Amino acid sequence: MTFSLNVENESPNRTVFHLHGRLDAQTFNDFDLAMLDVLPRIPEESTVVLDLSALDYISSAGLRSIAKIRRTMRSRNGHTLLLNPQPQVRKVFDIVKAVPVNEVFADARELDEYLDRMQRRMTGDEPGSSP
Amino acid sequence: MVLRSIATRLSLWVLAGSVLVLAIAGGVLFYRVSGQILEKAHGEATALANEAGNRIEQRLARVADTAQTLAVVVGTHPDGAEATLRGALARNADLSGLAVAFVPTADNPPVSPFINRQDDGSLAWRDLRKDNNPYWETNWFQAGLSCAQGCWQRHFYSQSRQREMINYSVAISGSGRPTGLVNADVSLDWLSRILKELGKPAGAYAFVLDESGVYLAHDNPALVGMHGQANLLEALASHQASRVRLAVAQNPQAQGKPVWIYFVPVEGTHWRFGLAIPETKIYAGVRQAFVQALLLGLLALLALAVITLAVTRRILTPLGMLASRAEQVARGALTFELPPPRFPDEVGRLTQAFDRMRTELALHIAELTRNAKEQQRLASELDIAHQIQTALLPGEHYLDAHCENFELHALLRPARAVGGDLYSYFMLNERRFCVMVGDVSDKGIPAALFMARTITLAKALAPRARSPQHLLSLLNVELCRNNDSCMFVSLLCGMLDTTTGELVMASAGHEPPVLCDTDGVRLVELDTGAALGLDDEARYPPRTLRLRPGQTLLLYTDGITEATDTDQQLFGTERMLACLGQSPSASASDLAAGLLAEVDRFAEGAGQADDITVLALNWHHALADGSADMLDLTIHASMDDVFDTLDRCEASLHDQGVSPDVRDDVRLVLEELMVNMVQHGHAGGADRKIELHMRLGDDAVLIDLHHDGHPFDPLQVPMPALTGDLADADEVGGLGIHLVRAMASELSYSHDEHGNHMQLRFLHPARPEPDHDV
Repeated sequence: MTFSLNVENESPNRTVFHLHGRLDAQTFNDFDLAMLDVLPRIPEESTVVLDLSALDYISSAGLRSIAKIRRTMRSRNGHTLLLNPQPQVRKVFDIVKAVPVNEVFADARELDEYLDRMQRRMTGDEPGSSP
Repeated sequence: MVLRSIATRLSLWVLAGSVLVLAIAGGVLFYRVSGQILEKAHGEATALANEAGNRIEQRLARVADTAQTLAVVVGTHPDGAEATLRGALARNADLSGLAVAFVPTADNPPVSPFINRQDDGSLAWRDLRKDNNPYWETNWFQAGLSCAQGCWQRHFYSQSRQREMINYSVAISGSGRPTGLVNADVSLDWLSRILKELGKPAGAYAFVLDESGVYLAHDNPALVGMHGQANLLEALASHQASRVRLAVAQNPQAQGKPVWIYFVPVEGTHWRFGLAIPETKIYAGVRQAFVQALLLGLLALLALAVITLAVTRRILTPLGMLASRAEQVARGALTFELPPPRFPDEVGRLTQAFDRMRTELALHIAELTRNAKEQQRLASELDIAHQIQTALLPGEHYLDAHCENFELHALLRPARAVGGDLYSYFMLNERRFCVMVGDVSDKGIPAALFMARTITLAKALAPRARSPQHLLSLLNVELCRNNDSCMFVSLLCGMLDTTTGELVMASAGHEPPVLCDTDGVRLVELDTGAALGLDDEARYPPRTLRLRPGQTLLLYTDGITEATDTDQQLFGTERMLACLGQSPSASASDLAAGLLAEVDRFAEGAGQADDITVLALNWHHALADGSADMLDLTIHASMDDVFDTLDRCEASLHDQGVSPDVRDDVRLVLEELMVNMVQHGHAGGADRKIELHMRLGDDAVLIDLHHDGHPFDPLQVPMPALTGDLADADEVGGLGIHLVRAMASELSYSHDEHGNHMQLRFLHPARPEPDHDV
């Protein structure tokens, strides 16, 4: 068991994926399949949080899987945020400049603050669109 | 000092030579002329003597005539004798006295008159019969009676008249017998006067000798009456010569000098007239003339010498100048004024030639100086080139520092300042040691440059080469490029596994190495390819050798085997093997140094013709502890095997205490590379293999990765377009390779007929000490 995935729906517009183990050429396929299953069920304009705190290792195959998720979410006007990557994983992300720096968060509190801030801005800017 | 001048010497020599010639010519001429002068003097003196003789004869002849006439007259008229005598005496002044003496008989006249001339000129008369001494008993009378034709009596000194007298007697004949005689006394004063009146040359003197050799008359009155000297009388007696030379004259007037005496007989008498001329007087004129001529000649010669001196001085003045200038040239000064050549003579030509020589010399010296500087510059450049070339070579001694598995000694001695021999050695990685010895064709600077090119390329290409044959191929291709000068290098390359002692060698036309151990010394046969730089498709077969402890491998260049001695004999392989076999020590340094010393001994006096290189590699022992070698795997190129391998690697690294982040780096890099091989590198074949060697070095993890699939150089993959968000593009290629290049501390790639070869190195500075690890 080198890789596992937990999906947690914190709220209707925020889904958290907990990644465990190694996301590499051997495991990215499983991850991709799981995503194919999960992502379509996520509503538009919602936020996907990838909790990487338990991800030990990632290779280019894993990077491509994550890029795929981000592209899917973007096409659905959603966001993909990364939470707490381990140093090794963070190093890989840095090397290939995988995601914008402001979408990676060191811990859950930072993430919450960011999401709140974004929420307020959205409600302030577009009050009519608020649910 | 004066004699150092050519002009002085020339004039002196001219003077001396002329004086000599003049003296000789003068001497010869004087000799010839003096002969003629003597002849002439003989003639003149003889003529003079004849003249004097004639005059004396004439005077005497008159006396004789008178006496004979008187004798006839008195014979017929004896009584008139006195008057006749007086008349005759008056007519002839030469007569001093006349006498008629009769033989005393009865029929004779009673008187015998004698009339003589007094000093005052008057005539005295006396009768001879009345003299005390009867005349008829005297000698002169007796002798006179016998002279019918008349004869001159002996001269005598008359006491009465106080003078030298001579008398002429003629017998008076009557009736067949002499009845008396006429006696004419002649004073000899006139004879002396005649001698004195002769036109004699100065210094000459005349004399008259009577038949008994007594001087009748002489210019020197002291000699009158004396006998002539013996040799004169002898000459006179011989009657042959009319002249005689007396070495010493009797006459004191001649002062004992030689005289010539010319004599003539006085006819009618037995007298001889002599003319004596001192020899000095004969030659005096010519001698004086010669002395004057000689003096004049000497003066002329002196003038000639002075003129010669002046002219020569004038002509040679430029020579003196040239001489001092030449001394300046000898001191190195070349800038000076030369006298302008006056005439196109030898001196003028010499001056011009000297000027030209000076100019040429200055040019030549400048040229030489320039050349010397150029030489100096070249030498200095060569010196620097030598230093640079030496710097290209690694040290002469190498001892594997970690485990002392092997030891290496190398000696390189170029024949000139720089050479074409090369050796090099270096660690390719933690385990593999590369060593090479090469020899560039030709010598000198081109060879040195080619050598530098070769050694630099070899070092640069070696990390990409998996094997010596591969390295040689790579080198060959590089060296063939633009090699228009067709230079080439023979190279023997070996790669030594420092752990096991396995040595792979390949040769590009190089001498086979020598292996020395306790079993002996032998050449290691190996097939060689073409020398590098000639054929860019050449192949180099490898030869593998496993070195045993104590074995020494000796690499060398043909400078050893082709060293020649003074007899042009080659050192040769046999001598080399023999020398190595006799070496007392098997250590690398002793073998190399011993061989070189032997070659030096052999080639002593012949000079080193070629660069010499010896490299000895002494294998000590294999590495006992192989723990550093962590993994040595060969797997199928499949995903399962790859990930299995990744796990094993990680476990192994973990066991070695390698830090987790390095482990992750290693895993990531290996995964990316191997997955790539599996997915893209199969090149149509299904059973591709991946080899992986992983070792732990001092401060790094070292990994060799080989794959026999499609050539793929990760270093040539372009950098992916990184926008800061991977989601920007549909698919970003090259991410994995980018990660590999970023993660690995070092990465090298090569490809050969066996496939792709990658060497990776991951630094891990935090490796724990081995004792803590246990």
